[in-house]
Order: sequence, then structure tokens, then C-alpha cells
Amino acid sequence: MGSDEEDFVFHGTPIEREEEIASRKKKAVAGASGNLRTLPAWKQEVTDEEGRRRFHGAFTGGYSAGYYNTVGSKEGWAPQSFTSSRQNRAGARKQSISDFLDEDEKADMEGKSLSASSQFDTFGFTAAEHSRKHAEKEQHERPSAIPGPVPDELVAPVSESIGVKLLLKMGWRRGHSIKEVRASSDARREARKAFLAFYTDENTKETPDSLVSETEVETSLGEDIKISESTPVYVLNPKQDLHGLGYDPFKHAPEFREKKRSRMSANKEVGFRKPLSMKESLFGPKSGKIAPGFGIGALEELDVEDEDVYAGYDFDQTYVIEDEQPARQSNDNRLRLTSKEHDVLPGFGAAKNSDYSMERFNPPIIPKDFVARHKFSGPLEAETKPTVSAPPEVPPPADNNLKLLIEGFATFVSRCGKLYEDLSREKNQSNQLFDFLREGNGHDYYARRLWEEQQKRKDQSKLTLDVKVSPTVQKMTAETRGSLLGEKPLQRSLKETDTSASSGGSFQFPTNLSDTFTKSASSQEAADAVKPFKDDPAKQERFEQFLKEKYKGGLRTTDSNRVNSMSESARAQERLDFEAAAEAIEKGKAYKEVRRATEQPLDFLAGGLQFTSGGTEQIKDTGVVDMKSSKTYPKREEFQWRPSPLLCKRFDLPDPFMGKLPPAPRARNKMDSLIFLPDTVKAASARQVSESQVPKKETSIEEPEVEVEVENVERPVDLYKAIFSDDSEDDEDQPMNGKIQEGQEKKNEAAATTLNRLIAGDFLESLGKELGFEVPMEEEIKFRSKPEDSSDKRLDRPGLKEKVEEKTSSLKLGSEEEKSRKKREKSPAKRSGGNDLSSSESSGDERRRKRYNKKDRHRNDSESDSSSDYHSRDKQGSRSRSKRRESSREKRSSHKKHSKHRRTKKSSSSRYSSDEEQKESRREKKRRRD
Amino acid sequence: MSAAAELPTKEAHILKGHEGAVLAARFNGDGNYALTCGKDRTIRLWNPHRGILIKTYKSHGREVRDVHVTSDNAKFCSCGGDRQVYYWDVSTGRVIRKFRGHDGEVNAVKFNDSSSVVVSAGFDRSLRVWDCRSHSVEPVQIIDTFLDTVMSVVLTKTEIIGGSVDGTVRTFDMRIGREISDNLGQPVNCISISNDGNCVLAGCLDSTLRLLDRTTGELLQVYKGHISKSFKTDCCLTNSDAHVIGGSEDGLVFFWDLVDAKVVSKFRAHDLVVTSVSYHPKEDCMLTSSVDGTVRVWKK
Repeated sequence: MGSDEEDFVFHGTPIEREEEIASRKKKAVAGASGNLRTLPAWKQEVTDEEGRRRFHGAFTGGYSAGYYNTVGSKEGWAPQSFTSSRQNRAGARKQSISDFLDEDEKADMEGKSLSASSQFDTFGFTAAEHSRKHAEKEQHERPSAIPGPVPDELVAPVSESIGVKLLLKMGWRRGHSIKEVRASSDARREARKAFLAFYTDENTKETPDSLVSETEVETSLGEDIKISESTPVYVLNPKQDLHGLGYDPFKHAPEFREKKRSRMSANKEVGFRKPLSMKESLFGPKSGKIAPGFGIGALEELDVEDEDVYAGYDFDQTYVIEDEQPARQSNDNRLRLTSKEHDVLPGFGAAKNSDYSMERFNPPIIPKDFVARHKFSGPLEAETKPTVSAPPEVPPPADNNLKLLIEGFATFVSRCGKLYEDLSREKNQSNQLFDFLREGNGHDYYARRLWEEQQKRKDQSKLTLDVKVSPTVQKMTAETRGSLLGEKPLQRSLKETDTSASSGGSFQFPTNLSDTFTKSASSQEAADAVKPFKDDPAKQERFEQFLKEKYKGGLRTTDSNRVNSMSESARAQERLDFEAAAEAIEKGKAYKEVRRATEQPLDFLAGGLQFTSGGTEQIKDTGVVDMKSSKTYPKREEFQWRPSPLLCKRFDLPDPFMGKLPPAPRARNKMDSLIFLPDTVKAASARQVSESQVPKKETSIEEPEVEVEVENVERPVDLYKAIFSDDSEDDEDQPMNGKIQEGQEKKNEAAATTLNRLIAGDFLESLGKELGFEVPMEEEIKFRSKPEDSSDKRLDRPGLKEKVEEKTSSLKLGSEEEKSRKKREKSPAKRSGGNDLSSSESSGDERRRKRYNKKDRHRNDSESDSSSDYHSRDKQGSRSRSKRRESSREKRSSHKKHSKHRRTKKSSSSRYSSDEEQKESRREKKRRRD
Repeated sequence: MSAAAELPTKEAHILKGHEGAVLAARFNGDGNYALTCGKDRTIRLWNPHRGILIKTYKSHGREVRDVHVTSDNAKFCSCGGDRQVYYWDVSTGRVIRKFRGHDGEVNAVKFNDSSSVVVSAGFDRSLRVWDCRSHSVEPVQIIDTFLDTVMSVVLTKTEIIGGSVDGTVRTFDMRIGREISDNLGQPVNCISISNDGNCVLAGCLDSTLRLLDRTTGELLQVYKGHISKSFKTDCCLTNSDAHVIGGSEDGLVFFWDLVDAKVVSKFRAHDLVVTSVSYHPKEDCMLTSSVDGTVRVWKK
């Protein structure tokens, strides 16, 4: 059969089977893309039509979807970091299903979502949405002038909804209401017409019939119907206020909107605003009125105190108006509305009113000489003189007298004002000498002089008739006036009359009046400004009248109610005086001027007296006075002062107190622990160290005890105890046992110098005074006179004193003391037990004291050199006080010392024993007394 | 007057910049620069000879009342209404240290010669010495013997001198550990020391300047004519000690002859109160400051 096979003849190419071809093709394609053929099966990859690998191994992800085997995005499932800061708030992220879908899946979903096509979008939502999106996109592409997303209101839908189209076909026009106009009769006709129009397409609308009927309808309609609701709000209510776009002033207070509207309508009718009462609408049920400008919180209730105390103040008028448009606009508004009423075609606005033009005002014209910088004017300057252009320099007239006269007159006029010039010109009409006032001889020179003077005195205000007085001056009392002038009530002392006489050397002041002024000028503070014309009551009265008139403002009526007994000239002169005096009151400094002005100006002019500056003489006079009065004054005192070592170091100086006086710094440290002392006291205490050393030196007491004491003063409580015990003890002890006292004092002295004690001493003194205790002086003197002789006694009863002190320290008041004493007397049997203890105690004390005595001697030598300091301080009369303080201090300190001593012992001895000691001491004392 | 001709009465520059009153104007050690301070809480560094503002230092919380520069011009200190003493670096404009402790406004500050300490005078009736060398902000010393506000302080090599409203000028001598109190009977507004160091000039609130001999405490001379009653106004001596200068509350500046106390010259320097006068250490040049907000430089 094999040969059979060989015999076959094949023609053409054999047709391969289709499947085979397809599979081969596939393979070829695949092979071309991925060389599949060559790859083993487990390495071959399946990709989708875009070449993405979709199938993974079971252990490497299975079926994959999305972006590089992730979902949706590059980040895929990778957690996004959440950040939200105050500036960049992280908005709530909205996730939708589309976030997790591939585009193919989305394409699948597409068909399922329902949305109105724009054609049937009746309310334009879709269109609006669309256009908004479009606008947003556009905005991203080219940023507009307004940053941020465009407000919805600005982006109007472009397309018309089917409803609008329908309506339009029905004959409705934009701007017209849809509501039934004539419900009963016309409704059917209209409906029919609309129906017709809709179905017969465009041309039917143009039938004359319908047109006519429409116009008929509209013309017959009232105004209110024509302004329909469908008209956009901005057409109906054009923006007429000056608020920013979209700003609604009544956003949070709609009540006011209502009010405003009603007011506007009122405007329309009446033409002026008729205020509506807000009370009813807003606060009606709650309260009457609240004060304008002070709102209450939303959660607060109006209360009594919120009521407006300024009754009659129209709240409505003032409050609501302020954020309203200018009054003119209401006018405008009315115009527009009225014009609409008449013949405006439907659908047409009154154009001339819509382009609302606001009236603009030009800015104020700045004067050319304006300097944009504020110059501080003097508080005392009532007004500044306008700068007058300088008259040309003119040589003085040949006549020396005339020259002097002119100069003096110019000075005077510059001081007293133009008024004076006018007055004197008037007065001296006929006087040849005063020709210079009237264009005569020397006028130019006078003008020049006057200008110069004025320049000189430009700081001082020119006194004019209608001077504006500050309101404070208006209510000037005698005191304020006096204080303005800076003085105390005038004392007529000998010294002052002296000064007036001496200062009057160059001038003779003819009147008492000038005398007073001279005095005020010379002593600069003593004068009675209250009554400058005190010597002449009538004149003073007139002066007050004058002041009153003047400060009432306006022009004064001269001689309104004055007695006309004076001559014209006298009155004029007096008035000048008054003016000047008033001026002086106004500016308290111008004493000299006042004097010049008040002292007979005409006499001086006529006499041609030399017009000296006078200032220096004045000064000298007062200087003399002051020297006289301050003869006593530069008083020199010297004190000890201790610079801190660091200060000396910083100044590169050796510390003068190096090695001396250790207490000061140490005490300061201790002081810091005493909280109740303010800083200043601390420092003050430093000073008292030096003070306190005075008696210490005299009695030659030494320091070393200090160490013990400093330890003692730990608690302020001790301090108080000490204070009270000291004083009470003084009362008790001094009269009875002087000797013990002395011994005690000796001990005390040794412990005198701690800083704490010093302060306590101060404290003590004042407290003692308060409590009525006295610290007698004698004791100290006594013990000082014989400081040595008490040692034996001290040895006799070493524990006694301290026991007494201990007792008093524990018992604050004398009454308690008494009680204990009574108790002790009642039970004398207990005494014996305590004796042993006390004796042991005393022996310890004795030992210590001996030690101190040794140190005493050393100390005396070292301290003797600086004792001179203390003497100098002692001279100051503070001797007794400081001594007293010292004594009390000493006592207290000694107490302290012993208390410490005791305290240490107490640890071993019982409380009972201490009681016993006290009692024993009491008894001893009593024995002594007997 | 020949004497008056030597005096710096011609305005060379107006230093404008402070808003509100200028409370103090001070030359530096060599007189090339000036520091001013005022109500506007600033301190300003000027070149007064060219009228240029160089730097403004801001840190004070209230008005600055006084300022003083170290001799090496590296640091300065200031004080004022905020109760603190500020220690500044001139070039960087930074506050190196603030010294707190005064219980009231601080009226005056001064460095010592070696600029190692600052002494401040306060409303709390104390002089306080602050250490610039260490980092401590605690006062080295509190001098608390004054009975009233301390208005002014002056330092010599060995002494601290303070003038107070209690009417005393107190000299604290570190060499002998002594306080010398000269009671003048009138509130002392400002003190300044003569260049030879022998006299102290005290401006009192009775419109008088008093010249005291420092060794004896004697009143040498009294200068009058100006007004000084309610403001803190300055007085000083010229660098030759020939004249006494005082600012007046009416805006005038007075020159007195030191010896015979005559008013040699007076002129209107400002519209308002002259708060401070400072004289150049070598040349005839003067600084005045005023409530009107200006500082003026005066030359011959």
C-alpha cells in the first residue's frame, strides 16, 4: 500500500483546514509579540488587547485589574497620606464607585445612568451644570480677573428648557407673569390660543388676532401684574446700594430688610422717610429700648441694664440709616418707578434710570502752602500769628527819644496786641509824639520794630478780641486759676516786701496793682492769681465780670453793665489791664509781660522811659531771695554705705569693707528666705546695718555670735514671738531687776548685729508703738555705763533670763503670763524637780558665754577704727531712736540665741522640765522683788 | 557778645524721625554719633554732623527715657517706661540682655567707665547696678536710700551720683564706702558733672540750676531764667566748663556764664519743651531734643 501512496499525484496546493490556519495565525501574532513559541508554558503571559497582563499566578495576585496590577491609579491601593493644616483644610473626600473602576468598566456602566437630556431639561439644571463645568474648565485654562470658582448666579444656563420653549410657543414672553390674568373669562381663550400656537408652529403666532389680544391684555393690566415674578431679581431690584457684589447687609438680620423695604415704599409715596418703630418687630415683647451701638449677645436676654438711659434718643432713626444708601437714591428709585407707570412699552425698562450715575465730588483742593507734616503747636498757644511779610529795614529816626518810644511801643504792642495800638492811636490823635502810629514820622521804623517784636514773640499768642478759650478755662475756679499760675496763696511776709522793693529798683510802680504783679513775677510762685486786683475790690469785681464776658465767647459788649463813673481813658486802660491779666492767666508763664502790661503803660510811654529787658534783673533778684532762703539748704550729710564686693570689682576698686562686717552679705542671703519682706525692705535693711552699728561700736560688742543667731532666725513665727515677748518683758522686768537686766543687756549686745534682727527691730518698734509698749531709754544707758560688772550675776543665774524669755515667747500676752504665774504659785512643790535640769543648763550656758567674752576682746580691736563713721551718723539726731531700736533688737536677738540654745536641749529634756524652768525663773524673780 | 559767639547757637541739622516726643539725646563718647530715644519706643542712632539717621532700635514696650553708649561704642543701654534696662548691641541692633527688677519706670541709665556695669535710676526710689560682664540679670547692688524717685544718675571712676526728687544729690563713694547726701531742698531733675569732676550741676524743679562743690557740698552758684517745673529737662556744662546749658519748658535753651551766672545767650530751640541737651565732648556742638519730635544739632 505504500506504493499506492507513492503513486498519488498532487496538483495544486492542498487546502489546509481552517482551524489550523486560525490557530497558526494566532500563534504567529503571539509569537511576534511575545515569542510565545520559544517560551515554556509557565513563562508565557496572557495580555489583554492593550497588552496588559491580566492573569497572574494564583500566588502573585490572580486576576488583576487596573493600573499595573493596581486599581485605577498609579497609587493604587497605596495609602494616601492625610494632611490637614489650619491653612489647608483637608476637605471631606468623596469617594464614588467610579474611583474604583477601570475605563472599560465605566464604559459598561455608562448606559445605566439616567439623566435628562438638555432638550428636556425643564428647569435648566443639567444645562446649568454643564455650563458651570464648562466655565470651570475654561477658568482653569485662562484665569479670569475674579479668582476662584465663578458663582453660580453669574453662569446662566445657555440653553432653554423645553418648558420655556413651550411657554414661548404659547405666547408667553420673557418678563411676563404666567399667572392667570383674567381667570374666569380669558383663561379658556388663552389656553386655546396657546394650544393652537404650539401645534401650528411659528407662523401662527404672528396672527394679528393673537397679537392684538395680547397687547390688549397687557395694556389693560395693572402695574403690579406687569412686574411679574418671573422677571429676574436684578431687573426688578437693581443694585442701588454701595455694598459689594453679593453682600447682603441684612443677611443675619432679616428684620431690617423688612423695615427697609417698608420704608422704601413709604418713600415712594410720601417722599420722606417715615421711621417705623423697630420695637415691635424686634424686641417688642422683651424690653423697651436698648442703647444704640451696644448689642447684646445672641444668648443673652435684654435686661434692665441694657435699656437706653438716654431717653429720647431715637434709636430707629440713627441705627438703621447708617448702612443705607445715600438719600439721593431713594429719589432715583421713585423716579424710575413712576416713569414705569406711564408709557413704557412692555418688555422695556426705563433705560435712562438703569444706568445709575452717582454724583461724584472732587477731592478738596489742597492749599499750595500745605505741608503734609503736622507741626506740634504749643499747648499754651491759643493761636499762631499769621506770618506777615517783613517790612523793609528802616534806619531808626534820629531823635533818640522817639526811637526809644517807638521801640518800647512796638514791644508793647506786640505783647498786648493790635488792640492796644488802635486804642492809643485813638487816644493820641492830637499828640505829636505819636505820629508814628499814623503814617507820620517814624512810622516805617515802627512797623519794622513791630514786626521784629512779633517775630520774636511768635510763640506767644496774640491777644485778640475773640480769643478762643479752651473749655477747661471756661470753668475756671479760683483754685484752678491759681494753680495755672503755679502759686500758693499770697503770704504777706517781710521777705516778700523786701523783694518787691529790691526788684523795683529800676522802676517805681505807682499802684498797688503793679506791686502784686511784681511779686508774682519775682517769686514766680507766690502771688494771688485768683485775685490779681485784690487791692481794689471794685476793680476785681469788674475784672471778674470781664473774665466772665470774655469766656462766654463772642465779642464783648463793653461797659454793658458797668458803672460809668470812670473816664474813657481810665476804662480803656483798665481794660488793657484786664486783658493782660487774663492773658497771664491763660498762659501762666508770662508774668513779666503782665507786669509790663499792667503797670501804667501810658505813663511809661509818655515819659520815654528806657524799656530794658528787665528779665535778667528779675532773675537776679529772685536769685538773691532764693540764696537767702536756701542758706540752710545745701545740707550735707554723710552715711556709711557698703558697696557690694562685686561692684567694687567691676569698678576696679578695692573693697573698703573687705574682711569687715561679714553680716551684711550673709544676712542678705538669709533675708531672701523671709518671703514676707518686699524687695525694698531688703535693701533698706542694708542701710540699717550701718545705722545699727553705731551703738554696737560704742558699747564695744563683737560679732562672733552672729553665726549662732543667723541659724536661729529661720521662721518668721519666731520673729513675731520675739517681738511680743520682748516688749512684754520690758514692761515686766525693767522696774524690778535692774541688775539682771544689765547682765542680760550685756549678753544681748553681743548679739546685736544680725540683719534679721535689725529688721525685726524696726518692725518691733512700730509694733510696740501700736500696742502701746514703751521701750525705756534708761536701761540701755545704764548697762552701757557698766558693762562689765554684771558678769558675776550672770553666772549666778545663768538660766534665769532666758527662761523668762522663753516663757514670754510662748505666751504672747501679759494676761496669759499672769495666769501661768498664778499657777506656779499654786504649785511650788514641782519646783524641786526642775532645779537639776536648770543647773545643768546653766553650766552649758556659762561655758559658752566665756567663750564669747574671749572673742569680744579681739573684736573690739578690729572694729575700733571705723567707729568714727558711726559717730558722724549719730549726730543726726536719730540717736535716741536708733538706740531704742537697738535695745529692743538686742533683747530680741538674745532671746533668739537662747531659744536656739534651748531648742537643742529640748531634745533631751522633757517639756515638763521646761515648764519647770519657767516656773523656777518666775519664783526667783519674785524672790528678788521681795 | 564775644562769649555768645563761641556758643553753638546756629542750627546745623534737624534730626527728624521720631514720632512724638523725644525724651533724650546723647552724644556718644567721641561725639561723632548721637543716640536719641523717645515716646515712640524707639532708639535712633544718628550721625548728627551730617544729619543722617543710621539705625533704629526697637524693642522697648513703652517710652524710652534715657540711653547711654559705652566708651567703645559697641554697646549701649536704655531704659524707660517698661521698667527694664536694655543692654543692646549697637551693630546688630539686638538686645543682649534685659535687666528686670525696678518696680517702676526707669528714668536714667549710665555705664561706668569700663562699661562693665550699668547703673539705672528708677521711679522705685532706687539706683540699681547691673552687671554686664556676667550673665547674671540680678542687680549687683541696690541703692535704696533715696526717699523719692531718682531722676538722674552720673558715674565717675569711683562714685555713683544720683539726683532724686527728694531734693538730694547723693554721692556713693566706693573707695571709702560712704554715702554723701547733699540736700538741696528742691526736687532734683537732672544732674551733670563738670568736666573737671569737681562740681556737680543739679537742675531743680524750682526752675533753678544749682552748682555744687563736690568736695564740700557748698552751693557755688545758682542759674535762673529758664522754666523747669514739671518736665524732665536736662542741663549740662559745655566741654570747657565755661558755660552752663539748660533747656526750658518753653522751648528755649539758656546759656549761663558758669562763674557769674549771667544769661549769656538764650534762643528758641524748639517750639515745645526742651527735654534734653547734650554737649559735644570736644567741639562746640550741641544736641537738643524736644517734645515736638525733633532733635536739633547746634553749631557755632
